[in-house]
Amino acid sequence: MVVAAHPLAVKAGLEMLRRGGNAVDGAIATAAALNAAEPFASGIGGGGFMIIHLAREKRTAVINFRETAPRLASPRMFKDKGEEEKEWRTSSGLAVAVPGALAGWDLALRKYGKRTLAEALADAIAIAEQGFAVSATFSSINKDEYERLVKNLPEGSSYLNEGLPYEPGDRFRNPDLARTLRLISSSGVKAFYQGEIGRKLVAAVQAKGGIMTSEDLASYQAVELEPLRGTYKDVTILTAPPPASGGLHLIQFLNIIERWPVRTWGQNSVPYVHHMSEALRFIFADRERYLGDPGFVSVPVRWLISKDYAAAIASRIRDDRPLESYPFGEFKQEEKDAANTTHLCVLDRDGNIVALTQSINDFFGTGIVPEGTGFLLNDHMDDFAADEQSVNAPGSGHRPVSSMGPLILFRSGRPFLALGSPGGTRIFSSLTQIVLNVTEFGMGLDEAIEAPRFFSFSSGGKPGPIAVEARFPEEVLTALRAMGQEIEVREAYDKYFGGAQGIMLLKDKKTILGGADSRRDGVGAGL
Amino acid sequence: MRKPLLTDLLVFAFMTTLPCLDLPGQETAGIFEQPLLITSAGQNAEVQIAAVLAKRAGLNFTLSKQATGADLENMKTLVIVLGASLKGLGAAGLDMGKERERVMALITAAQKIQVPLLCLHLGGETRRGQQTDDLIAEVLPLAKMVIVVKSGNGDGFFSKLCQPKNIPLIEVEKTADTQAALRKAFK
Repeated sequence: MVVAAHPLAVKAGLEMLRRGGNAVDGAIATAAALNAAEPFASGIGGGGFMIIHLAREKRTAVINFRETAPRLASPRMFKDKGEEEKEWRTSSGLAVAVPGALAGWDLALRKYGKRTLAEALADAIAIAEQGFAVSATFSSINKDEYERLVKNLPEGSSYLNEGLPYEPGDRFRNPDLARTLRLISSSGVKAFYQGEIGRKLVAAVQAKGGIMTSEDLASYQAVELEPLRGTYKDVTILTAPPPASGGLHLIQFLNIIERWPVRTWGQNSVPYVHHMSEALRFIFADRERYLGDPGFVSVPVRWLISKDYAAAIASRIRDDRPLESYPFGEFKQEEKDAANTTHLCVLDRDGNIVALTQSINDFFGTGIVPEGTGFLLNDHMDDFAADEQSVNAPGSGHRPVSSMGPLILFRSGRPFLALGSPGGTRIFSSLTQIVLNVTEFGMGLDEAIEAPRFFSFSSGGKPGPIAVEARFPEEVLTALRAMGQEIEVREAYDKYFGGAQGIMLLKDKKTILGGADSRRDGVGAGL
Repeated sequence: MRKPLLTDLLVFAFMTTLPCLDLPGQETAGIFEQPLLITSAGQNAEVQIAAVLAKRAGLNFTLSKQATGADLENMKTLVIVLGASLKGLGAAGLDMGKERERVMALITAAQKIQVPLLCLHLGGETRRGQQTDDLIAEVLPLAKMVIVVKSGNGDGFFSKLCQPKNIPLIEVEKTADTQAALRKAFK
């Protein structure tokens, strides 16, 4: 089974499985196809994380292909740009971090796959060449990011239709991307990291005021990591460790929730939304204080995901009203831990599972496309903190903290749910709600994904509003307001809350449920 | 798409207090003068598209996303691109309350100096929703003419607002078709 954010990508993954590829081959074929079919969310100009469960070996591994900062990056690199800092962080060459997607796909295939990179790229090339009808989602995102695209795209770029956004039903083709992927198919990833494509990439970044060099690109490496492990009642959670933060915060969040009678409260009830929003605000205080690249700073992972710490947070949350401030936790210094996006899940016939989240950050990334290559460059340097004193300040070779959190959940040692989502800092909140919908409220996966979502956060210890989808009952919102919570009502199915994809294996081991999010163009299919 | 109560009430009020008019032969050509000031109501991304279309139509325009009455100096037409974007509002540091205040103050200033209002809705069906509809219901009756991308008027929302006020409503199939409609509307 394959679940992903575009039907053509799902088809590519299924074809790979049909041709005898395993879940890793299927995942990379799907990931590459997403570059062609959903190019505004991810691609070879970006990076991500994947978690791989090998059924026969009963082993789970994580591949970190998050982008890195160029060597010349420094904590003040954006601050020095003055009032235009935000623009430099998101739509200039300075916003581009060294892409890791291809290196990650290649590492996964070489170590755990059965097929070559060329085979995994074949369907992506066909999609880019033949094109497809643009969906309402693609069209609305294309319109939303129009200003950035007009600023950065060259004349005649595929990403606009004669200089205007695509309308639903228009045909989108990307022959430049097809040529680029064909070159990578024939020459390998070195064409990207050390060859012609890389030279164009560096030239495009530098032409837009960036600091990336050919050396940065040539030295990029995807790395394999041990997964981060947590529990919620009888469920074991395996996920990507920092600098991915989605899984870590999901474990922290579930540890707090574990102490509350959520089933008695009821899904999306007043006490449920209130308590969980309060917990989110404490978690964001910790995120602000501690989350950085564990290759360079100490992240107190063990403390953050400890049950004792969760109990301490839960005890501070009041039943009747929000707090005025949300301080971060204080921990003993530890040694360094060794250490806007799309998601896909693949399950093969042998029970191997891959959950992969990849991104170019904002939709359409920086809007910069290296000449004649057809792929968009990320703006993941914006994931570094604005505060130069932050543990997540930009630094030479650092990987910015990511909210991504691909997960595999186990019961009695058997995987039963693979899950992930885009959605920036909303990722772990959305994933937690889906996990609770399944484990506490007995929903099927699709129902769990489609259910109305909410989100809150804190910044500098001060609470943000509770954002809710418009499907929340008015009486719940009225009661929350009466408690002193500020409410922000968004669209009924709002992309702001992510676009989750998942695969669930039921107890009988014969029934497999795919869940795909209608907040995007998600779809699932099996052989 | 659920229509909000406020909007329902406004539409109901228009429909019951004013006669429904048959509007064939309304004048839609050359009814506006240049230069024009383009701004948005709701900080949507379509305002940028409107500027590109105005440029392609050869119009003399100024784009100001957060225009105020002061920006109307020497202007002969005010063009407001309708559609609320939470992302755009957030980036501009505004909420809907402040944005509504700005837009209504701008329209009042335009009315004082007899600068007519042309409204555009270019986002189609996806740029509808409670906040957008409430804003449209408030602004649209003050327009001299309205141009909408057809899918945005699939439920007849714009028609219901324009008809009672005898406001010419031009539907275009695609966003790009707005260019010709704009060219035709201006002297």
